[in-house]
Amino acid sequence: MANEPAIIDGFSFLSELECSGCGEEYSSREIHTFCPACQSPLLANYDLDAVSSQVDRDAIRHRQIGMWRWHELLPVREPRNIMFLGEGDTALLSLPNIGTALGLSNLLMKDESKNPTGSFKARGLAAAISKAKELGIERVIIPTAGNAGGATAAYAARAKIHALIYMPKDTPRANVQESRMAGAEVILVEGLISDAAGMAGEKARAEGWFDLSTFKEPYRVEGKKVMGYELAEALDWILPDVIIYPTGGGTGLVGMWKAFAELEALGWLKNPKRPRMVAVQADGCAPVVRAFRAGASFCDFWINAHTLASGLRVPKSFADALILENLRDSNGIALAVSDAAILEAQRELGRMEGIFAAPEGAATLAALKVLVHQRWVQPEERIVLFNTGSGLKYLDQLDLLV
Amino acid sequence: MAKHVLCVEDNPDNLLLVKRVLEARGYVVLEAKNGSEGLSMAESQKVDLILLDINLPDIDGYEVARRLRASAKHKLVYIPIIAITANALRGDAERALEAGCDVYMSKPISIRELWARVEAFLPTSRIGR
Repeated sequence: MANEPAIIDGFSFLSELECSGCGEEYSSREIHTFCPACQSPLLANYDLDAVSSQVDRDAIRHRQIGMWRWHELLPVREPRNIMFLGEGDTALLSLPNIGTALGLSNLLMKDESKNPTGSFKARGLAAAISKAKELGIERVIIPTAGNAGGATAAYAARAKIHALIYMPKDTPRANVQESRMAGAEVILVEGLISDAAGMAGEKARAEGWFDLSTFKEPYRVEGKKVMGYELAEALDWILPDVIIYPTGGGTGLVGMWKAFAELEALGWLKNPKRPRMVAVQADGCAPVVRAFRAGASFCDFWINAHTLASGLRVPKSFADALILENLRDSNGIALAVSDAAILEAQRELGRMEGIFAAPEGAATLAALKVLVHQRWVQPEERIVLFNTGSGLKYLDQLDLLV
Repeated sequence: MAKHVLCVEDNPDNLLLVKRVLEARGYVVLEAKNGSEGLSMAESQKVDLILLDINLPDIDGYEVARRLRASAKHKLVYIPIIAITANALRGDAERALEAGCDVYMSKPISIRELWARVEAFLPTSRIGR
C-alpha cells in the first residue's frame, strides 16, 4: 500500500498482501489469515524493483547457508525474529542409476529430508512462525497430516510460542512423538486432515488461536518458495524442464511457481522458460487429478481418502484453484499413482541410489515412470523430483507392510 | 429470467455474504434461517438451486436434503443442492452426498468457487456483472 514504506532497513522488501482470488490488498503489518472478502488465500508481494536494484543475485550464494540467505525476499523484517534451525539449502542430487535405467540423462532429486525435523515442512513453518513471532502472536494451532506437526512444534518451541496440533489418529508415530518432544500439545483426531482442520478451525475461532493451516495464513508459502530459488541458483539460473512434486495441500507447488515469477520479474533468470509442473497424488486421494482432467477450476472434496503416503491424504486443498491454475499455466499435468507403485519406487530409490525417501517423495518417481512410458518427458530433459521428507518418519507404516 | 437461489443458513454473516455475491451476479436470493423454513419455502416458491448449511438450529441439513428428495413437488427431487458445512467432521461429505446433495463445500467458502459451482448448475446471462 502506498502509505506503507516497503523498506525498513533493506532486510526484507515485503510490501503488501494480495488476495489470490479478488486482488484485494491488505497490510502486511497486521495479522491476516485469508481474504475476508472472497475467502481465497493471500499471497505476499515484495518491492521487486528495489530488490533488483539493491541486491546482487550472485552475492546471495556466499551468505550463511540456509533459507534466510534470501531474506530480502522473505517476510520477516527484523533479523532477531528469525527462528533458524538450519532449514533450507538441501541437496540437489543426481540420480544416475535410476536415470540410466529409465533412459534419462538429466534426472535430479531435491532432497528435502535434510531439513530440520526431516521434511520440507520446516521451510514453511520457519517462515510462518518467525513472522507470527514478529506480529506478536503467542498461540498457534495447526491441523496436519503429519510432518507439519513436528515442524510447527520445533519452531514454536524456539519462538516460545504455544503450539496446539491436531492430527489424524493414524498419523505416523514419529510425527506425534517429535511434536510432543518439542513441547507441543497434540490432539489425535478420529478422521482425516480435513476433520482435523475443522476442529482446529473451530477451536481457533472460539478461543482466539492463530490458525497456521495451509494457505489460511500467508507466510508458509513464502518459506516453501525458496525451494524454487535454490533450484534456479543451483542450475545456474536456468530452470529445469520438468518438476515432479507430490501434492497434498500444494504449498510447495504454488510457492515454487510464485518464486519463478519473482525471479523472472527480478531479471535474475538467464532464460524465462518455466518448468512444466507435475502434481502427483495417490490413487486413493486424487482431487487435483480429477479436477485437472475435468478441466475444472476447483476440486471436489475427495470422499474416503486413503493412502499410505499420509502427506497426500488431503481431500481438498484450500488453495485448489491456485494449484490448478499454476499447473495449467505451466503446461503441466496431474497424475495419481497407486500405493503399490509408491512402495516399489521407494525400494528402488533405496536400492539404486541409497536414498530412503518418504512415500510422498517416492510417489514422484512412480509418476516419472508413467510419464516416461507416455513419452510426456524426453530423454535429455532436465527433470527434478522432490523428496519431501525422510523415510525414517514412516517406519511404523513400513512395519505393517513388510 | 432471473434464477432463484434459496439459501438455508442460520448465520446472518454468511447469509449476507452469499446474498451479496450472488445478487451481484444477477441471481435472486431467497433466505431461510432454519431447516423447516427452508423446506416450506422450497415447496411454496420458485427455486432453482438450494445452498444448504448442514448445521441448522432445528432439523439438520441432511434431513432437509432427504425431505427435499422425497418431496411431492417433482422439481425438488432433482433440484441442485450444494451442501455447506462449518466443520468438516468425519463423514460430513459422505453423509451430505448420501442424503441427496449434489456437491459439498466446507467453510470458509471461497467466493470464486461458490460462483463457479452455482453457475455450473445455473448458467447466468452474465447480466449484472
